[in-house]
Amino acid sequence: MDENKVIICRCEDVTLAEIRNLIKQGFTTVEEIKRLVRSGMGPCQGKTCGLLIAREIAEITNTSIEKIEIQNMRPPYGGVTFEEVIAGDTIEE
Amino acid sequence: MRIEQHPILEFEKGEKIKFYLDGKEMIGFKGDTIASALYASGIYKLSESKKLRRPRGIFCAVGHCSSCLMIVDGIPNVRTCTTPLKEGMKIETQNQEVVLNE
Amino acid sequence: MNNIEKAELIVVGGGPAGLSAALAAADYGVNVILVEEREFLGGQLVKQTHRFFGSEKEYAGTRGIDISKFLVEKIKENENIKILTSSRVLGIYNDKIVTILANNKMIKYSPKALILATGASEKFLAFENNDLPGVFGAGAVQTLMNLYGVLPSKKILMVGSGNIGLIVSYQLLQAGVKVACIIEAAPRIGGYSVHASKLARMGVPILTSHTIKKAVGKDKVEGAIICQLDSSWREIKDTEQFIKCDAICLSVGLSPLTDLLKQANVKTSYVPELGGYIPLRDENMETSIKNLFVAGDVSGIEEATSAIIEGQIAGLNVAKRIKKDIDNQVKIEKKIAEAKDELELLRAGPVGEKVRNGLKKIGLDPLKNYGEKVSTEEFDISFLMKTGIPSKENLKKKLPLSEDVFNKGPIAISECFQQFPCDPCVKSCPFDAISENGSINNIPYVNFEKCTGCGICVSKCPGLAMFVVQKNYTDSTSLVTLPYEFLPKPVKNQIVLVLNREGTEICEGTVKRVRDGKIQDKTTVVTIEIPKEYFLEARNIKVDGGQKHG
Ligand SMILES: Cc1cc2nc3c(=O)[nH]c(=O)nc-3n(C[C@H](O)[C@H](O)[C@H](O)COP(=O)(O)OP(=O)(O)OC[C@H]3O[C@@H](n4cnc5c(N)ncnc54)[C@H](O)[C@@H]3O)c2cc1C
Ligand code: SF4
Ligand code: SF4
Ligand code: FES
Repeated sequence: MDENKVIICRCEDVTLAEIRNLIKQGFTTVEEIKRLVRSGMGPCQGKTCGLLIAREIAEITNTSIEKIEIQNMRPPYGGVTFEEVIAGDTIEE
Repeated sequence: MRIEQHPILEFEKGEKIKFYLDGKEMIGFKGDTIASALYASGIYKLSESKKLRRPRGIFCAVGHCSSCLMIVDGIPNVRTCTTPLKEGMKIETQNQEVVLNE
Repeated sequence: MNNIEKAELIVVGGGPAGLSAALAAADYGVNVILVEEREFLGGQLVKQTHRFFGSEKEYAGTRGIDISKFLVEKIKENENIKILTSSRVLGIYNDKIVTILANNKMIKYSPKALILATGASEKFLAFENNDLPGVFGAGAVQTLMNLYGVLPSKKILMVGSGNIGLIVSYQLLQAGVKVACIIEAAPRIGGYSVHASKLARMGVPILTSHTIKKAVGKDKVEGAIICQLDSSWREIKDTEQFIKCDAICLSVGLSPLTDLLKQANVKTSYVPELGGYIPLRDENMETSIKNLFVAGDVSGIEEATSAIIEGQIAGLNVAKRIKKDIDNQVKIEKKIAEAKDELELLRAGPVGEKVRNGLKKIGLDPLKNYGEKVSTEEFDISFLMKTGIPSKENLKKKLPLSEDVFNKGPIAISECFQQFPCDPCVKSCPFDAISENGSINNIPYVNFEKCTGCGICVSKCPGLAMFVVQKNYTDSTSLVTLPYEFLPKPVKNQIVLVLNREGTEICEGTVKRVRDGKIQDKTTVVTIEIPKEYFLEARNIKVDGGQKHG
């Protein structure tokens, strides 16, 4: 299998090769990996890649997947444009 | 291709909608999303991924994955799988790096 | 600061769970705002053209699209429910402040209670070129063909044999798509056997212990490379196979869509039996945050029947908190207890074990009141669960003990061999001739004394597993009555090809009767006359002139 052609995060074009490399270098949380390669920070917010990355970490570090924290979620969910925020008059800072 | 006959469902074709893909005139129908109209016309590649330049098309069709982002009337990163098709829309294949709005 | 509107209950998600939650609460006078991000209500139901398996009480036996219509009508009639479609809940902040993007405008609510019924998202699979155009999630394939009427492919490879993979494969055949094969990494088919048998009868191969290695193609899928796996899920050397196809459909499971729950800091836990990270919640569907409830797939992947009941439980609990008068309290309590019992019954069979184990992990007792000993598999269905084809032994157990029974006239034969929660056959028989011995999870048996061979059950069974046979129609021929959901429909006196349970042509038959009325509701009931020797083999037909596409 050519790991460079296995896409884990399609929003940010992150491959399995990259993810495995990072884990082997010692980055073993979804959060760290996300900071480094932006996986899960694209428009889909980690819906497709989160579990796949967690599974890779579990496999390589020989831990059970239950112990692996998936990334934190912050509002807003699904992305909003600035115009849309302005259009609503009920936003408080 | 469209499904013409179906044992359970009836598809009423809505009015024709004219739109443009990279300047070329295309036809869809009322009720289509941009992506469904393109797929029915045999257009499967909707964009190129931003780093690796890999072809991308519809994947989830429900607005969850970002695989179908295109430039619509000048606005980049529009999820075409959930955006209704409108008369005269100008759609462009998104293949240069554009800043993603998050 | 300003303009945070007050509300009683906000329900997020307009699928079966959200719809039933809204209805349950609104029935007791709770003011409900129902928020759905799509332009229409119904969730998964609007894409389901098949008859739902499950409990007839929660609309099983009816097509998903029609269940949706029915529930949505009830919602629209209810004055206590305000519907916000094309409105996505963006965030849930402290104190349950909810922000909604409704038609390009942000609005904010502060509700007394919240029910999240956001459903699930599809899992993805890692293989070479998994992002090539033409690689789809099962939901996308359904959206294209069943919502927009667009043909997703001419020939497709299905990856995954859970109920979704099986059902979508069948729907693809109905749309006129060829299914090259269904591959499954596990050594056993994941979905219910009746759904697999429908495909086996159509000649679709199901390959267990197989996985996909690579999607092949330049700008679009032109094929796939699959391979065989050993018992520890490792690739077996030299088993690579190229499958020619123009699309690949991934149906490898769902995981709860918990983004909003995580934002709200609801405690979650990883429970693979329920699809991944799920919110912790109690038996009333309340999460770790007071007055924040969940229901349906978001609380753990299950089925529509359970989603509907969970929605009721959540909705009723909110009503109990908000409408405090004594009269209501007693009634609501009773309804909650009934709903919980129904849910336990549903999960009490062998196929409910996974869900039960998952629920135990989050500290719930899935059979609290049910108590009774859970039944284990009654039949040896290992061959059936590998191929979709029932074994001779399986079949024998459902046939009359004495040949004499065939002499009395037409009788129903039920080819349903697995214990799973489903009962439309039992509920549909006007002569009370089918019984599951008191539990929805038991295998249905036909009482041949009572059965008149009327054929009503044939179109009602979502597994298409009910047939009627009349062995001695003439000296040399028998009649077989079977369900048929494809085009073109056969007509009386037409000669058709007759297939067995493996999809192999065995003989020709003459169409004697075609029932295609309101009762059948598009599951045409066809009676064919065939040579007598095949009356226990003939289970499908092929009608000349397949579907056309433009
Ligand atoms: C192919 C297929 C076949 C099936 N067949 C059967 C069957 O025969 N019998 C059976 O019992 N079950 C069946 N099921 C399962 C059943 O459809 C699901 O279990 C059920 O739909 C779950 O209901 P739900 O309400 O939890 O979620 P969904 O139906 O998924 O609804 C969730 C809704 O929430 C909305 N939403 C999500 N996030 C937001 C947000 N932030 N803001 C606003 N709205 C949001 C979504 O748009 C969606 O409409 C099938 C499923 C599939 C895919
Ligand atoms: S054929 Fe008629 S009588 Fe016999 S089991 Fe079916 S519905 Fe009942
Ligand atoms: S025979 Fe009964 S239990 Fe089996 S699939 Fe049909 S309706 Fe469901
Ligand atoms: S195809 Fe996934 S967002 Fe459009």
